[in-house]
Amino acid sequence: MTEPARALRKALDWGKLAPLRLRAKTVADGVYAGGHRSRRRGAGIEFGGQRSYVPGDDLRFIDRHALLRHGTLLVRQFETETDRTLCLLVDASLSMSYRSEQAPGPKYAYAALIAAALCKIAVGAGDRVSLDWFGGERTVELATAGGREAFERVVGALETAQPSADLKSDLPALERAVARVERRAGRGSTVVVLSDLLDLPEGAEAAIGTLGVRGKTLTVARVLDPSEVTFPFTGPLHLRALEGDTRVETDAAAARPQYLAALEAEASRWSARLLSRGGSLILLDSADDPVKAVRKILDSVGGLA
Amino acid sequence: MSFLVAAALGVGLFVAIPIAAHLLRRGRARERDFPPTALVPAARSVARERATLEDRLLLAIRALLIACLAVIGATPFVQCSRLSLNRSAGASVAFALVVDDSHSMRALGTDGVRFERALRAARELLASAREGDAIAIVLAGKPARLALAATTDLNAARRALSDLGESDRSTDLEAAVSLARTSIASLPHHDKRVVLLSDLAAGALSDGAEGQAPLWAPVPELATPLENCAIFGAERRGRRIAAHVACTSPAAAAGRAVSLVGDKSGKPVPLASRGGIQELGLDFEPKLERPELELNGGDALKGDDRCPLAAESAALGVMVAADVSNASAKTGGPPVLEQAVAALESSAALHPIALLPDDANEYRNNALLLLDDPGGITPEARSALVSFVERGGVAVAFLGPRVEQTPLGATLEPFVHGAVHWEAKAIGELNQASLAWLGPEASSVRDLKLAGRAGLSTSDLFGARVLATFADGQPFLTERELGRGALFTVALPTSVEHGNFPLRPAFLALLDHFLDEARDHRGATQSVAGGEWTFPLGASIAIDGPRGPLAVHERARAAGGSALKAATPTLTGRYTVRIDDKAEERVVTVDPGEITTLPQKVPESAAQKRASAHAGSVDASPELGFVALALLALELGLRVFRRVTRERALSDTKTAHHPAL
Repeated sequence: MTEPARALRKALDWGKLAPLRLRAKTVADGVYAGGHRSRRRGAGIEFGGQRSYVPGDDLRFIDRHALLRHGTLLVRQFETETDRTLCLLVDASLSMSYRSEQAPGPKYAYAALIAAALCKIAVGAGDRVSLDWFGGERTVELATAGGREAFERVVGALETAQPSADLKSDLPALERAVARVERRAGRGSTVVVLSDLLDLPEGAEAAIGTLGVRGKTLTVARVLDPSEVTFPFTGPLHLRALEGDTRVETDAAAARPQYLAALEAEASRWSARLLSRGGSLILLDSADDPVKAVRKILDSVGGLA
Repeated sequence: MSFLVAAALGVGLFVAIPIAAHLLRRGRARERDFPPTALVPAARSVARERATLEDRLLLAIRALLIACLAVIGATPFVQCSRLSLNRSAGASVAFALVVDDSHSMRALGTDGVRFERALRAARELLASAREGDAIAIVLAGKPARLALAATTDLNAARRALSDLGESDRSTDLEAAVSLARTSIASLPHHDKRVVLLSDLAAGALSDGAEGQAPLWAPVPELATPLENCAIFGAERRGRRIAAHVACTSPAAAAGRAVSLVGDKSGKPVPLASRGGIQELGLDFEPKLERPELELNGGDALKGDDRCPLAAESAALGVMVAADVSNASAKTGGPPVLEQAVAALESSAALHPIALLPDDANEYRNNALLLLDDPGGITPEARSALVSFVERGGVAVAFLGPRVEQTPLGATLEPFVHGAVHWEAKAIGELNQASLAWLGPEASSVRDLKLAGRAGLSTSDLFGARVLATFADGQPFLTERELGRGALFTVALPTSVEHGNFPLRPAFLALLDHFLDEARDHRGATQSVAGGEWTFPLGASIAIDGPRGPLAVHERARAAGGSALKAATPTLTGRYTVRIDDKAEERVVTVDPGEITTLPQKVPESAAQKRASAHAGSVDASPELGFVALALLALELGLRVFRRVTRERALSDTKTAHHPAL
């Protein structure tokens, strides 16, 4: 691990964020408490309404009372509660440890909070949750599990992990993580990727995009630091990337428009690629309210009724 | 320079600190981690140039702030070009400011208008005064006046100074210096000075006797000679105009000419290329209303290049009724009275008459009637005379032996009531003390040889005042007011056959007094700025001058007696005087001495005082403190402004580029 990386890891103040589980619960409570319903209607317990009969419908569901009273053929519908697996893929590369003066914490801490909150919501709704990583140290992959214990394990794993590793030229590591998620996520699963999408190797877009196929819902939440969003610097700058050897000497005022344009272009590229695979991209600022961030993700996933 | 001064000023070297910091900051860009560095374009050269430009203002402010603090530290030792009082052993000072408000101070000097420069210098001196210092303010325009008696109230001095205004008076610097010395003479201060804020265009100044306050001329540039020409008088004489012009030097007069304003047909009359006074003649254009003369070209004082034309009756009309056979000198020529008047008032219009006019209109255009040895006044003549006096004329009767030869029906009224006897016997001399108001000439009445005198008794005088007496107490000169005029009765004739009084200087002084009285009562249509106009106490007076109404006040007569009304025009120009609803125009001009008298050199002793005073230090701490505070506020404001601007720009950037956030 490089010296700057160690310094940045110290900046990850879990004491300020902890207990993560309490904050995750608070965030989850602020979003919505309760289960989500499947959009599939058919065999089930709870009555879900009526519709006109069309040839081919199961005759067992014809509403006899409506037929006798009104003389029209109506079919009774029922809603079926289903469990949907939530697969969390968290970026723990070194760039996620970045924190500027404007941010309350590192990007990883914000991503971990969002992940824990999503986990809490999913577990509360009876869904199962899995956790995978790309990059990072002391990371623990968690197989699909449900219940309170799953939430505790996810929180523990998020707290244990440390942002590390230079993925700039390590596409196989990313592909391995994606493959693990693919194995865990079946049809109807929801995959949420929490990453800054920075310093990723060539082909990362394609690899992550594969998570949106075969009936899975893919949402990539791009977590950026406020300084990465606005580029608030002034005067001469000597910038150094956390992953790779990129160094740039520039003038803040002159570089700001070009940087912002490049950032926007990159986001558009990711969004287009994900959209083609049925996924979506959400931009998050680590200084923003995490409750709103989780709501954005849930809106994107379509998990709220 | 002491160690403290060096140390304080040494702080100024810290100015180099922000400069060095700026250079260091400019030379090296800050290195920082930034994950999306790959998205940032490189712009190395631009970065350094922009850093230099952006920080220059802050750098200048900080450097100035440090320099200001260094000077504040050394302030008690820092000298300033501002005038200040140099104190001997730090003691309080008593000084009299002699501010010259004469016409010549209105000239445009090397440092602005002289009078304004003098006031500025006075304010600077007042600013350096402290509690305990005594200040008197004396004005050197004629007559010298005390604007502020010596006081330790600095605020009162500032107020008095702010009330001063320029005028066209003559200069009376010697009297002003004397008045200034007197005003601070009785003060207990050890260090006393008379500060001359004047162009010194006056007679020679003495440095004063031992023990008197020394002179100090702190603004020598006021005495820089300037080129100037002025029209100091213009009067109509029939169809001609007599213009009186004064110039400081031949150079000032060269190429200049006088013309009648608005007279397109008349040609300008060029001045002779010489300094001093010259008289020019121009044709009068009767169609012009309120005509004025103008001097072309420019000089140091533009205000005196134009002068209103006085009416034809500007010259003082004097009627003289004297018997040529009795009252003439043995050498021949006109009577002594006429010769004396002509000597005293060259511009006076003398009108010798054989008999007193019976018609009051014949007194028109005359202000003074001198009647020598009258042999009685007929009722018709008396009526006309009374009418003349009541309208502001002055009549003087020199009584002689003929007072006893009045014909039937004629009397000496209105001068004397009843019969007057001629006392033809050896008479003692005049009471010199009773003539003291004539001035130094009063001493010339000693050892007079008089052949007789008119015996005036108090009961015959109609309540007239006795102004002078003989040694035995008999009235010699009486004055009686009648209407707006005055009647004087002298108990001696002007004929040298009846005594040698007409040959003494006191006689001329007495005649001069009568001329002055005539001028005062009649009011000369042309007078010099600063000269007082007097009016009868009962008259209703309203005066409009070039700058609005002129104040009229009451005052007592100099020789005692009842009060009168007086007004003093201090500015040149045309005045409209309304006396009991009768309007007349008067023209006030400048004294030619103001133009022709060149500034004298600053007395040597005054120059030495000046040098020592300039070495005095000035406490500039308050001003420098304000400057330092202003710089500090400017820096804070600039930083806040930049911060707000940057944050606003970033907010706009965030909204524009990431609307999804």
